[in-house]
Amino acid sequence: MKTGSLGRYLVTRVLLAVPSVFILLTLVFLLLHAAPGDPVTATLGGRLPPAEIAARQETLGLNDPIYVQYFNYLAGALTGDFGNPVTDSRSVVEIILETAPATLELAAAGMLIAVTLGVVVGAIAGRLRDTAFDVGGRLFGVVIYAAPVFWTALLGQLLFSVKLGWLPSSGRAGGFDAPEQITGFYVFDSIITGDWEALQSSLLHLILPAVTLGLLIGGVFIRLVRVNMLQTLRSDYVEAARGRGLPERNVLFRHAFKTALIPIITIVGLQFALMLGYAALTETTFSWPGLARELIDFVGTRDYAAVQGIVTFIALVVVGVSLLIDIITGIIDPRVRY
Amino acid sequence: MSTVHGSEAPADAHSAAVNSRTPLKKRLQHIYRPFRQTSRISRGLIFSGLGVVVFFLLVAFVAPLLYPYSGTQYRKEVAPGEFVKFPALAPPSVEHPFGTTRDGFDVLARIIDAASLAFVVMAIAVSIAMLVGVTLGLYSGYRGGKFDRALVTVMDSVYAFPSLVMAIIVGFVLGSILTQGVFSAAAAVAVVYIPQYYRVVRNHTFSVKQEPFVEAARSFGAKDRTIVGRYIFFNVVQTVPVILTLNAADSILVLAALGFLGYGVPYPIPEWGLDIAKATNDVAAGIWWTAFWPGMAIVLLVTALTLVGEGLNDVVNPLLRTRGKAGRKIAGMPRSRRKNGDGGVTRSADAVRGAAQEKLAAKIRDLRVGYRTSDGPLWAVDGVDLNLRAGECVGLVGESGSGKSSMGRAMLRLMPPGGVVQGEVEIDDRDIVNAPESTVRKMRGEGISLMFQEPMTRLNPLMRVSDHFVEMIRTHQPKTSRQRARTMARDALMQVGIPPTRVDNYPHEFSGGMRQRVMLAMAIVLTPRTIVADEPTTALDVIVESQILSLLERLRSEENVGILLITHNLGVVAEACDRVAVMYAGRIVEMGPVDQIFNDPKHPYTRGLVASTISLNTTELHSVGGYPPNLVEPPTGCRFADRCAYAMDHCTKVDPELTTVGPEQQAACLLYPGAGADVPADVRTPSGDPQKSEV
Repeated sequence: MKTGSLGRYLVTRVLLAVPSVFILLTLVFLLLHAAPGDPVTATLGGRLPPAEIAARQETLGLNDPIYVQYFNYLAGALTGDFGNPVTDSRSVVEIILETAPATLELAAAGMLIAVTLGVVVGAIAGRLRDTAFDVGGRLFGVVIYAAPVFWTALLGQLLFSVKLGWLPSSGRAGGFDAPEQITGFYVFDSIITGDWEALQSSLLHLILPAVTLGLLIGGVFIRLVRVNMLQTLRSDYVEAARGRGLPERNVLFRHAFKTALIPIITIVGLQFALMLGYAALTETTFSWPGLARELIDFVGTRDYAAVQGIVTFIALVVVGVSLLIDIITGIIDPRVRY
Repeated sequence: MSTVHGSEAPADAHSAAVNSRTPLKKRLQHIYRPFRQTSRISRGLIFSGLGVVVFFLLVAFVAPLLYPYSGTQYRKEVAPGEFVKFPALAPPSVEHPFGTTRDGFDVLARIIDAASLAFVVMAIAVSIAMLVGVTLGLYSGYRGGKFDRALVTVMDSVYAFPSLVMAIIVGFVLGSILTQGVFSAAAAVAVVYIPQYYRVVRNHTFSVKQEPFVEAARSFGAKDRTIVGRYIFFNVVQTVPVILTLNAADSILVLAALGFLGYGVPYPIPEWGLDIAKATNDVAAGIWWTAFWPGMAIVLLVTALTLVGEGLNDVVNPLLRTRGKAGRKIAGMPRSRRKNGDGGVTRSADAVRGAAQEKLAAKIRDLRVGYRTSDGPLWAVDGVDLNLRAGECVGLVGESGSGKSSMGRAMLRLMPPGGVVQGEVEIDDRDIVNAPESTVRKMRGEGISLMFQEPMTRLNPLMRVSDHFVEMIRTHQPKTSRQRARTMARDALMQVGIPPTRVDNYPHEFSGGMRQRVMLAMAIVLTPRTIVADEPTTALDVIVESQILSLLERLRSEENVGILLITHNLGVVAEACDRVAVMYAGRIVEMGPVDQIFNDPKHPYTRGLVASTISLNTTELHSVGGYPPNLVEPPTGCRFADRCAYAMDHCTKVDPELTTVGPEQQAACLLYPGAGADVPADVRTPSGDPQKSEV
């Protein structure tokens, strides 16, 4: 393959992701083993007879030397076995399969709102620098980012659920409203099964959490898109494009806007990871049965084994997303392909 | 290198202005200087942000002394030994301005106490993160090699990880090792920011390390520690205040999030996030005040800190500074002192004769280009007349900052924000300066083309070269097919010596010289009548230079194109031009045929300029002493007077005009009759080859 080809670039990117996975897994392992005691004692200590606890420790391999545990953990993580919680009869993989679609549905809807808001408002604000729109957009971006997501969520619940009664205050579509589960993404499931009532209920439940999350990340995007637009608008090749007599419309969209978006794509990737963190807050506030909330609960019960498993999965997702972003950037921007 | 005695020769005027003896007012002005350059809106945002931050500091550290209750107080003493509990969930009242919580705490008291907690955690977290991040960043960036690469990979991995999840786990682990409290919370927050400081400082160090001044220090034998400490550290830390403020803002959010989830400080310590979590159930009952006020406190303080941080970023990042619209007027712009119209410049022989006789590629009359700068508005080009004949190449020479490039851009009315053009630039009998935007746009590229300096950055990195051509050709000639446009592109590339097979390459696949030729190919593809070439050969090797010059030569002789060649390289002028215009401080000071200007320059500045170029028969290298004048407040009289060896008394009073000093040669100098004042009888005027005679 010749230098600068897309194929070669992709292979390099995938290879570069390997150390990243390794580092994150090692960090997770070390961090959780730095906590005193072991998972069984931490969660069940005092509630079970010592003999029972010792037996459980033995089954979970907690009596093995630390390096054996480390290699077992790595091997497990790479073969898709994320271990078993102490306090839950399901395996971590079962928990992930059950709850991750809810989190991803929420994150995807939030990201869609955020990107739309950020790109539209940010690009216009950058173009109309120092006008009322620009100042308003910037201030909105700053204020919405400054508002803790759980607080906006509570205010939203107070207004739209408690006072106005327009939207459900918590949870996903439940009971008879829930669509037949195929993928676990309710909106998608209700569409493919043609269950319109379920679709309506799924969407209504999704609005408040997704908008809360989307507004927050959207604030970040507005600021970023604006600054990128400002910088691209004064770049040499935009001036050169004007110098060639191109109409302002082409200069803006073809030359300025497209280049301004490249760093944004990278940021979308980073924000997606951040979003998993914010999702923990949103899911807690809205009792959204997602993976992040599950993680928080396990942290609460001090179930190290489950925490380790879920965090490992999140680490893999994060590396996967950043790999995906690298690939997309590589396709759009020919300069990065070497 | 001794820095102890370094104060004898201050590096620039600003550092000279600020030393220990400078009065306080001056010093404050110096600090405020960069702020003055930002827009009024940005400044307003920064200072209102600062105001709110100060307010919160007062709330955190003064209000507890004034407010009667503390955050964990649930009763008050009505008589000695006799206590009355606060009502639970009481709405805002005079007694409890923000109401009370489910556990009967005063909401306002909790907010006040939580403010000081927020500042303490912020301070600890940011200090830890900064100390660790900056140290690691400096070390890793300076040292480089395997260690650096390994640390970069680790930090990048951590950076990509959801920071809140990381903070929760760290808070949880630290909380189990130590005890859950202020320090474990602060450390959890700090972990989030270490990778950020590391990345910024490391990348900055890495690039500063390669700067010439650091290399110079190293070549003088400075120790590594000195280099990192003195040269790199001070350069790098300039970026820190911005991140610091933004992180301070963010740390409040992370602390609140930790608190909300129950992994921050333990209840009943007042903390905004924790209090909101406690208020979750109240909301379902329609009670707003327990959740609303703590959230409001977070929003206000974080917004304020962010505004300060972003504002600082605006101040530090000069890219974002200049603003305003390109147009024809600037408020507060001083009137140009040069006389307008018939009385002054247009009297020059060149203008009169040219307008009368020949077909002109471009006719420039009284052209002015103004900018607003941090020191005030100025005219970078201040009343220039020039006739560019068809098939002629005129060299425009002068020092950096003399207004050459501004003039080139103004001929296409291509102004950066905050720039204005006045006067007339006539191309094809149409005036570009005063035409509507749509007319000007059509003329750019088709009637007049500009070849920019810096070819490396002038092409859109995301578009193939062919797309640049097709877009341009079809903009001006919508009827041309894509196929035809591509053929035209190939032909144009061939003319500049680039294999037409490379038409579909991306800009980054070309070398600098090739990109410059691509730009030239784009400039000629629509066969404009006029080409402005701004330093077209700077930074190119001699072979490419001569290729480009011979192409320009062919364009003017075969296609009858008029070329304005902007350069500071007199060698290029001698090779390519028919005439030369010498620019100084925004004006043309001398103009004439190339051989006359080189062999018998009349203006003392031109003499200095010509003498300063090295030729085979020079034994000494001359240079023009002194510096060009400040154009914000241009001197009265001749702008060259204070650098001029021939200056007379009235040179600082009378503004010289271009006057005929030889065949087709004019100079704006009071040494010659007709320039605006009587010439004293005993004046010695320079003449002859400046390389031989002393200036």
